[in-house]
Amino acid sequence: MSSLTAPGPAKVKGQGVKRSDLLPYLGSKLVAALVSFFVTLVIGFVIFSLMPADPVRTLTRGRPTSEAQLAQIRVQLGLDDPVWERFLTFVGNTLKGELGYSWQFQQSVSSLVADRLGPTLLLMGTAAVLSIALGLWLGIRSGWRHGSLFDRIASSASLTLWSVPTFWLGMILLVTFSVGIGPIPSLFPAGGMADPSLPQEGWTHVVDVARHLVLPCLTMVLVVFAQYVTVMRTSIIDEMGSPYLLTARAKGLTDDAVRRRHAVPNALLPSVTMIFMHLGILVSGAITVEAVYSWPGLGYLTYEALKIPDLPLLQGTFIVFSASVIIMNLLADVVYRFLDPRVRAQ
Amino acid sequence: MGTGNSRRRLALAACALSGSLLAGAGTFAAASAASAPQETTLRVKMSGSGVDTLNPFLAFFDGAYDVFASIYPTLNSLDENGKPGPYLAESWTPSEDKLTWTFKLRDGLKWGDGKPLTAEDAAWTLNLIMTDAVAGTANGSLVSNFESVTATDPTTLVIKTKAPQANVTYVSIPRSGIPIVPKHIWEPQAKNLKDIKNDTFPVVGYGPWTLTEYKPEQYAKFDANKDFILGRPGFDHMVQQSFKSTDAAVAALRSGQLDYINGVNPTQFKALQADKSLLTAQEVGNGWTGVEVNHNARTRTGKKIGTGHPALGDPVLRRAIALATDRKTLVTKVLDGMGMVGSGYLPPAWPQWSWKPAAGQETPFDLAQAGKILDEAGYTKGADGVRVDPKSGKSLELRLGIHSDDTYDAGISSYLKGWLETIGVKLKIQTLSMSALNSDLAKGDWDLLMDGWTTGPDPTFLLGIQTCATLPKDDGTGGNTDAFFCDKAYDELFKKQLTTFDQDERAKVVAEMQDILYKADVDQIHFYATTLDVARTDTVTGLITGQPDAQGMYPAQTTFWSYLKAAPPAAKTAAASAEEEGGGGPLWIGGGVLLLAIVGGGIVLRRRSGAGDRE
Amino acid sequence: MTAATHAPAALEVPRHHAFGRFCRAYAKRPAGLAGLGLLVAFGVLALVAPLFIGDDQLNVIKVDGPQLSPPVDGYPLGTDQAGRSVLLLVIWGARESLSIGIIATALTVVLGSAVGLLAGHYQGRIGQSLMHVTDWFIALPSLPLAISLSAVLGQGAASITIAIAVTSWTATARLVRAQTLAVEARPFIERAKVLGAGNTQIMIRHVLPNVMPLILVSSTLTVASAILSEATLTFLGLGDPTSVTWGSMLQAAFAGGAVTAGAWWYLLPPGIAILIVVLGFTLVGRAVEHVLNPRMVGR
Repeated sequence: MSSLTAPGPAKVKGQGVKRSDLLPYLGSKLVAALVSFFVTLVIGFVIFSLMPADPVRTLTRGRPTSEAQLAQIRVQLGLDDPVWERFLTFVGNTLKGELGYSWQFQQSVSSLVADRLGPTLLLMGTAAVLSIALGLWLGIRSGWRHGSLFDRIASSASLTLWSVPTFWLGMILLVTFSVGIGPIPSLFPAGGMADPSLPQEGWTHVVDVARHLVLPCLTMVLVVFAQYVTVMRTSIIDEMGSPYLLTARAKGLTDDAVRRRHAVPNALLPSVTMIFMHLGILVSGAITVEAVYSWPGLGYLTYEALKIPDLPLLQGTFIVFSASVIIMNLLADVVYRFLDPRVRAQ
Repeated sequence: MGTGNSRRRLALAACALSGSLLAGAGTFAAASAASAPQETTLRVKMSGSGVDTLNPFLAFFDGAYDVFASIYPTLNSLDENGKPGPYLAESWTPSEDKLTWTFKLRDGLKWGDGKPLTAEDAAWTLNLIMTDAVAGTANGSLVSNFESVTATDPTTLVIKTKAPQANVTYVSIPRSGIPIVPKHIWEPQAKNLKDIKNDTFPVVGYGPWTLTEYKPEQYAKFDANKDFILGRPGFDHMVQQSFKSTDAAVAALRSGQLDYINGVNPTQFKALQADKSLLTAQEVGNGWTGVEVNHNARTRTGKKIGTGHPALGDPVLRRAIALATDRKTLVTKVLDGMGMVGSGYLPPAWPQWSWKPAAGQETPFDLAQAGKILDEAGYTKGADGVRVDPKSGKSLELRLGIHSDDTYDAGISSYLKGWLETIGVKLKIQTLSMSALNSDLAKGDWDLLMDGWTTGPDPTFLLGIQTCATLPKDDGTGGNTDAFFCDKAYDELFKKQLTTFDQDERAKVVAEMQDILYKADVDQIHFYATTLDVARTDTVTGLITGQPDAQGMYPAQTTFWSYLKAAPPAAKTAAASAEEEGGGGPLWIGGGVLLLAIVGGGIVLRRRSGAGDRE
Repeated sequence: MTAATHAPAALEVPRHHAFGRFCRAYAKRPAGLAGLGLLVAFGVLALVAPLFIGDDQLNVIKVDGPQLSPPVDGYPLGTDQAGRSVLLLVIWGARESLSIGIIATALTVVLGSAVGLLAGHYQGRIGQSLMHVTDWFIALPSLPLAISLSAVLGQGAASITIAIAVTSWTATARLVRAQTLAVEARPFIERAKVLGAGNTQIMIRHVLPNVMPLILVSSTLTVASAILSEATLTFLGLGDPTSVTWGSMLQAAFAGGAVTAGAWWYLLPPGIAILIVVLGFTLVGRAVEHVLNPRMVGR
């Protein structure tokens, strides 16, 4: 969703930070994150209160319902309370870890989120690790030999894949490897996370989940890895002009050694922040991928909430997604400080 | 970071991963072939939107009703003709004054935990729904006319109603009626009913199945109840699996991970008909799709509300809209032919209530005639080809609200727009979420809305939402109306059918009501979409009950009977799905990536001149 | 993003020279030319579409093609469920998809540039608070926010456009702010101040022209992601199902069971069209970036 020219770290590197500045620095970052989170809550509430919605007829799904019942459900959902009262309840509850009560699932949003967190973390974690590994490896290789055939193939492939709508790639992979087309047999399951007719524990279960994971994970990796290729490649190319590399070469080190011991560690530094910032993009990818593959995670929950729309649930997933991005950014700042050799050298 | 082996380690990891996946595919197939040779499992797709909650007092989703029908008993069952049959109750008799019903229950039934199942359980369940607002969330309206429910002894249940009520035997039937729960399990927790998730497994109940495991959004697992009173299920176990997209379900069916899907769309159905290893069956539709017209929405006291176009109060204009709707084309194009042309208000799935206008009384598709009656009524075309209402001076530009999540609505609206344009009525299509649409509907802020209802075998509710009693109060609240319809004669008949205990007599009254609705052109029924089912023939038989008619249409199916009567084919081999073993997975993936790369490879990133490098 | 901090020297020479030089430099970049070619081709197709696609091919009550059929005579890419030619639908969809992408981008760029300029020029409290707001928005994940916004604003192209603009202006704002700071540090701004130019004048007359090229780069890349976002939001069911866009075609195909029917002729073209246009904008954006900032090596 975000463009390739996502801004780099807010702090320009090169401002040497002393060890003694570290704690105040982290403290200020933490405060900023908390403020961000509060603002997110406000934005979330404002967005979802703008909409006058009377979901009760929708919720009852054409079940025979009397007028008294409908009124009763309205009272239950707190739809008749004034706005300011709802805001106070909302903030209070969120701080308590309660995210409201889903209209369509008739249960608390937090319990729904808790149920779906695991599958999403599994999918996004796997996809993140694989795409970072693949992206960095390709980025280093093509940056080091930029202009080579390898570089041109890697760059055009990642650029092309970056331009592909994630959900569409998902559909195409679904048709190709799950429905099976022409000579290709059906290789992987078409949806869900596990085959319920198998035992849900032990090695069998692990393998089964892995098989279900292949296509959604592949879809996400194919789209996301391009980001990391671009970032890493640029950093390597930037590093290559540095005088210390010339020195290293002059010392007679092999090309390989120069790349591994000098260029890569230094180039990784600016990439770390980008990696964390791009994790937010993974979140967006997860929503459509989970919708296409019926993967029982948070993205799928969001997709389901859209139907009615189930506002408390949408609000809940929105807050959870935002919180995760805020946490990622905070981690990026911390990791960056710890990796920066100017800090470690103190 | 950056040690000498990192690159190779990564490559190894990638190999190991793909290797383990392939090996995994192998172990998987081996495991399924080796495990449990005698135990059979029926694997079906969860209905519609899946399960919202396992709490039977609160649930509204189709999937949840399928689960309750499998694990909780009801007073009556439903036979193949949609008539009440025996289940917990062996007999039921109304009194002389039609106000007291006596149900005789079977003796000696036991809940899953061994405790006796008696009339007391039924009385407690129904009383809770009658008295507790939370417990009445889902099914309160079914018992709103009940005066009292008492268990006079373990096998006798006495229901007293406030006014005579012909449909008492439909109040507790599988799926669309009230499930009876065990009192000894639910009574201790009845105080905080709202928070009960009902997820202690196995769930204590009684029915053809016992729920042993449930994972939200994934599956529900059942064991067969081998002593079930209405017959033993043909399978030992059942798994209902949740799929967001029917396509994923169809793929699972094709690859042998699933045995049965109830409800695919016409495109999928046609694609599957060609497959010889699958059984494709059409069942008569249990719902209708159509458009409703805002004919000057009014409150209970007769005050006009909302922003509807005033001209729609004119029966001539409504008739013209009906004349300009080619229902046949809608069935062919939108449903791919998988449906019936609509006329009567109650769907054909319940033949006892189904009604058609007499020959020659049907509204034909006739654009010329539609234009002619509009001309005669003084709706002259303006310069832009849009007619003008002579009374209000407003041009006939109408809003048509459609559900954003309904593919049929989007299809139908394009056709309606085209046809109405030819008779000088301009449509502006507004896509609305379900909530927004229902909220506009209640306020009367609409001209035309797409509308659709499905119904169980008892038509009371569906007929009820067309009565004057469901109109909103003057402040706009308190309404439960479908289309602001209000007609004295209709209301009289509505009361009459509720107290007509002879089913054939009742059907006549219901037919008269549908005639009134048909002539009013307020709810214009377009079609009844056929329900399309697909099953594997190599793993399951007997799912589809009843006999097909001349067109090959089966009567409406209920999951209760389908899952109960389904059985493995006689010559069932232990081999599970014939899982294709292919070592080609990664290869194909590689090929796909390459292909994409080639598309991008058209772009040649030229090597920069040496001067550019050294800056 | 290094482009932000290095003001291209080329920009200080008179403008028409600069433009000529820019074109010559751009012409040396085959990838950029390829991208431009793709865009021009699609743009022209979208513009001339009404000349050869009329109501008769698009209006469902007038078409009489076979339903959801693979490519046959007269339908080179097969038909959809209503019997309309997929090829014509894809061409027609270009109009809607491109216009949503471009309008959303225009909104994004105006919003982002305004915030960036103000934040860069007023470095006091105003600038600080503007950057705080930008930081907050950066912290919000864009797709969930866009989804929430469109769900609340109601269905349709308008709300999707707004949702895209609201979620993607932050990148532009930060770029423009950095560039503004760089420009304002130059001596000629100092001269203008001495000569008595006011705040508004400095921003509009002096800073903006120097920031323009960067805004241009940023906007081509924004169009790419806006088109992707439009398709995604429409696919999730937030668009208008009766309009013809690439996203709504895919949504109709997916919802209508084209995956099961193996209707590749219905699934592939809209996706490939999105791919080509997004790729085109990306390539053009990168080429422009390179030309304006020669230090960027072969990216």
